[in-house]
Amino acid sequence: MKDNERELAALLITALNLEDKRVDDVDPAAPLFGEPGQGWGLDSIDALEIALAVQQKYGVELRAEDEATRRAFASLAALADYIAHQRAVQAV
Amino acid sequence: MKLPLLAPAEANAPLFLHRGATITRAQFAQAALELAARLPDAPAALNLCEDRYCFALAFAALALRGQPALLPPSGHASALAAVRADHPGAYAIGDHPTCAVELVLPRTAAPRDPAPRVELPALAADLCVAIVYTSGSTGAPQPIRKPWHALSHAGQELARRLLDGHGRCHIVATVPPQHMYGLEASVLLALAGGHGVHRGRPVFPPDVRTALDELPAPRILVTTPVHIRALLASGTKLPELAGVISATAPLPCELAERAEAQFSAPVHEIYGCSEAGSLATRRTLAGEPWQPLPGVTIEYQAGGCSARGVHLPQPVPLQDVLEACDGGFRLLGRAADMLKVAGKRASLADLTQKLLSIPGVIDGIVFQPEAGAAQDVLSRPAALVVAPRLSEREIRAALARLIDPVFLPRPLRKVERLPRNDVGKLARAALRELL
Repeated sequence: MKDNERELAALLITALNLEDKRVDDVDPAAPLFGEPGQGWGLDSIDALEIALAVQQKYGVELRAEDEATRRAFASLAALADYIAHQRAVQAV
Repeated sequence: MKLPLLAPAEANAPLFLHRGATITRAQFAQAALELAARLPDAPAALNLCEDRYCFALAFAALALRGQPALLPPSGHASALAAVRADHPGAYAIGDHPTCAVELVLPRTAAPRDPAPRVELPALAADLCVAIVYTSGSTGAPQPIRKPWHALSHAGQELARRLLDGHGRCHIVATVPPQHMYGLEASVLLALAGGHGVHRGRPVFPPDVRTALDELPAPRILVTTPVHIRALLASGTKLPELAGVISATAPLPCELAERAEAQFSAPVHEIYGCSEAGSLATRRTLAGEPWQPLPGVTIEYQAGGCSARGVHLPQPVPLQDVLEACDGGFRLLGRAADMLKVAGKRASLADLTQKLLSIPGVIDGIVFQPEAGAAQDVLSRPAALVVAPRLSEREIRAALARLIDPVFLPRPLRKVERLPRNDVGKLARAALRELL
């Protein structure tokens, strides 16, 4: 797992109080949302919490109406890539 | 008796708005007539459209064809399969190319120029236009048939109560149109209330800001306590609002005060349920009483309260305990919440508040695992608690200092989070599973 993925996994675990999940056990490619029991099994209220946590930590605004954000929410790896890309764009 | 499908207004009044483009009343009428003509014959159809214009278009076309719109309680595959199993022969309409539906309405399709003086025919007042489902916080989802007069009545009365005096409003809603509150407080405020509605369903704070920025004043935000909390926490600056409307869960007074200060607009709540639709409203500040909508009366009985309405065929029993007061009623708690153990009474809402007051408890609920448990049987409530830094023993000890021991939840389980659904509600079945 890449460093930025580990950091983001830790942020999600804290922000969503996923106390039985450990950063080392996270599969970066697993889906974040969907039917309970698959991947992280998060719901739309969690999405709101993730958006707040990401905005506060990285200064990156997530927009659900944006197709790029929809893709970013596919997995931890996709979200980490999206945040890195947005921060690079903002830094220019 | 017949009732119009569209409230009377001038032909070029904007009904749906998005990114600077508008769909006028006449364009909508034309598109609905065209879609109705090409719908297949079927007993009913699932309306899964997320875009509010596409949803309303499918809704109107289905009504014109006399096919009830099935509005599933969530978009999960299991919920859709359950609704389809109940309605053999039904097809589904969606607005996303990837969704598994028989008919896709393209969101980008530009409506054609309407024929001069195009009008939608009126609908029979008692035509069943929608079947909605209870949210499941008081048991398994139940289907509820909605005649057109009931929905039309809700749209008109909500518009009169909450939007009067502003002229034609422009509404952004963060709730899905398939949910009873989202249906009445967005789509029907457009069709029956004559107001304009944003096509999107923004959820994240920056999306809400963008959607509101796209609309001319007066702007109205239709939302929930969860979204209001997120908007305040993110510090998002919204354009000038004429009002904020909240429902699905009680809005804490403190949150309403902060929202009124931040958004410089009054915050109103709607009280209702899937069975009866919107029943009453109030301005949340200072705990003002709830005022029933015109045509609604509340019956207060020892065994439980019920709502009567000109739009309801029979009284609807309410899940809440209501108390009449000057100018309306107060909400005392959920009736399924009232607990009687060893001759003592307590409300689960009260016990939950006590649980949440323990330092270190982040979220939690005290609830009755068995629906409809006999009132006088000694049945303890159960509790689920989110408290990463406390042990179950510490939580129990802290709670024992706050409440009568007969009400101590057993079992009391620590969980990582509560299974809240799309609108932040807790389904009893999901809670029971966690025990």
